[in-house]
Amino acid sequence: MASNKNATDVSVRINSEGNLMDAPDETLAIQVARGNSAALAVLYDRYASIVLGISVKVVGDQGLAEDVLQETFWRVWQSAPTYQSQLGSFTGWLFRIARNLAIDAYRRRNVRPQAISSADDSDPILDEIPDPNTDVAEQAQSILKNRQIRKALASLPAVQRQVIEMAYFYGMTRQEIAEATGEALGTIHTRARLALQKLRGEFERDEFEG
Amino acid sequence: MSLKDSMDPRIEELLPFYALDALTDEERELVDSYLAEHPEVREQMKDLHAGASALPYGVLPVVPPRKVKESLMARVNADAKARVYSSTPRQPSRPILPGVRGENIIRTFTLGVATLAIVWVIILNTQISQLRNEISGLHETLAAQSSSLEQIIANLPKSPPSNVITVSLRGTNVQPRAHGQLVVDPNEQSAILIVSGLPKLEANKTYQVWLINGGAPVSAGLLSIDENGQGVVIVTSNESIGSFKALAISVEPQGGSPQPTGDIVVSNDL
Repeated sequence: MASNKNATDVSVRINSEGNLMDAPDETLAIQVARGNSAALAVLYDRYASIVLGISVKVVGDQGLAEDVLQETFWRVWQSAPTYQSQLGSFTGWLFRIARNLAIDAYRRRNVRPQAISSADDSDPILDEIPDPNTDVAEQAQSILKNRQIRKALASLPAVQRQVIEMAYFYGMTRQEIAEATGEALGTIHTRARLALQKLRGEFERDEFEG
Repeated sequence: MSLKDSMDPRIEELLPFYALDALTDEERELVDSYLAEHPEVREQMKDLHAGASALPYGVLPVVPPRKVKESLMARVNADAKARVYSSTPRQPSRPILPGVRGENIIRTFTLGVATLAIVWVIILNTQISQLRNEISGLHETLAAQSSSLEQIIANLPKSPPSNVITVSLRGTNVQPRAHGQLVVDPNEQSAILIVSGLPKLEANKTYQVWLINGGAPVSAGLLSIDENGQGVVIVTSNESIGSFKALAISVEPQGGSPQPTGDIVVSNDL
C-alpha cells in the first residue's frame, strides 16, 4: 500500500531503522529529541486527530484549530529535548501543550467556545472517518478508547461534566466557574471532585470488563 | 483518623482543580508546597490526575486535512536541514547548474564578484591607512593609561581570590535576538542572570529559568522582562550551580510549570 502514501509517509518507513511505527511514545519522543523527523510524523499520525479535537472544542473554529494543531507538534519538535518521561506520560505533555496553545488562541481571538455539549452532539460517522495515512488498527484502538471515555463522560451528571470541562478545556478558575454558573464556590468544589472520582471509577470498571 | 479528616480543608478544595490545571499561581504554589510536605496525599492526587488525564480522550477526534501534516513536515524538515548545516563544517560549493547555460551564468557571476572585490580592496587600503594613523595615536594614549593603572593596582588592598565567572548566553532559533550573561561562582548555589532581547509576554505567560544536569530540568525561578526586553533574576538551586551542565529559559503559563512545556528561548551549556 506504500504507493498510496504521500512522500512524507514513505520517508517514515524508509528512515525507520527499527520499527518506528510500533515504537512506544516515549521512544519516539527520544528520537524526535535527536532530530528524527520521521518519529515526529509517527506521533502526529497517532495523536493529531485528538489534538485537533481538543483545539476545535476550545477555539470553536476549524481553521484556527488547525493552526493550533500544527503549532503543537512544532513545539514538540522544538522542545522534545526537555521532555522527561519520568515526570509524566508523553500524551499528558502533548495534550497540555495543545490545551495551553488552544486557550491562548481562543483568548487572543476571543472566539466564543463551542457550547458545552453532550457527548453525542455531532455525527459520529463523519467524525470517525480514519485518515488514510494512519495505521488502521491503531486508529480503531484509538476510536474505541475515545468511545469508552466519552461513554464515561456521558454518564456523569451534566452539572458535574460542565465544571470539569470549563476548568480543563477553557482554563477557567474555580471562581470564574462559580460566577459563570451562578453556583456557590463550595458546590463547584464538590462537583469537580465527584466528577473526577467517578471518571476514575468508570475507567477502573472498564478495565475489568476489558 | 482518616486522610480526609486530617487534610487541610482548603487544600482538599484545591486538589481537583490542581489535577485539572486550573488554579491561580498562588493556589498552585500552595498545593505544591503542601504535597511536598505531605507525601501521603499524593495517592489521592494520583486518582484525581487519572480522571483529569482522560479528558482529552473524551473529545470527538477530528481528522485533520492532509495539508496540515504536509505543512508541518515541510517546516520540520527545513529546520532539521538547518540544524545539520549549522553543526557541520561547510563544504566548498560546486556549481550545480548543468550545461552551457549554467556555466555562462557562473562565469558572469564570477566576473562580477571579481570586479566588486577589486573595488573593495581599493576602499579597504584607504581605510587601513587612516586606521594606522589612529592606532598610532591610541598606542601612545594606552601606554600612558597603563602606567596609571599599574599605579592604581599597586595601591589597591589585597582581596581574596574570586571564583566568579561570566557565562555568555544566546537565544535559540525561536528568539535569536535574545542574549545574556550568567554571573556565577560555580561552587555557590545562586547566580545572577541578566537577559536582554526577549519580547514582553502576555499577562498569562512567564519566562521560566531551568538548570539541567542530564536528568529532569530543575526550575531555577521565574524571569520578568521590562518594556525594553531586559530582565535580571537571581537563579537559585539546592545544588551548586557548577554541578549543572546547561541553562535554559522557556515560556510557560503564569506561575511556571513542573517541567518545560513552551518555547525554549535561551539554551546554553554552562
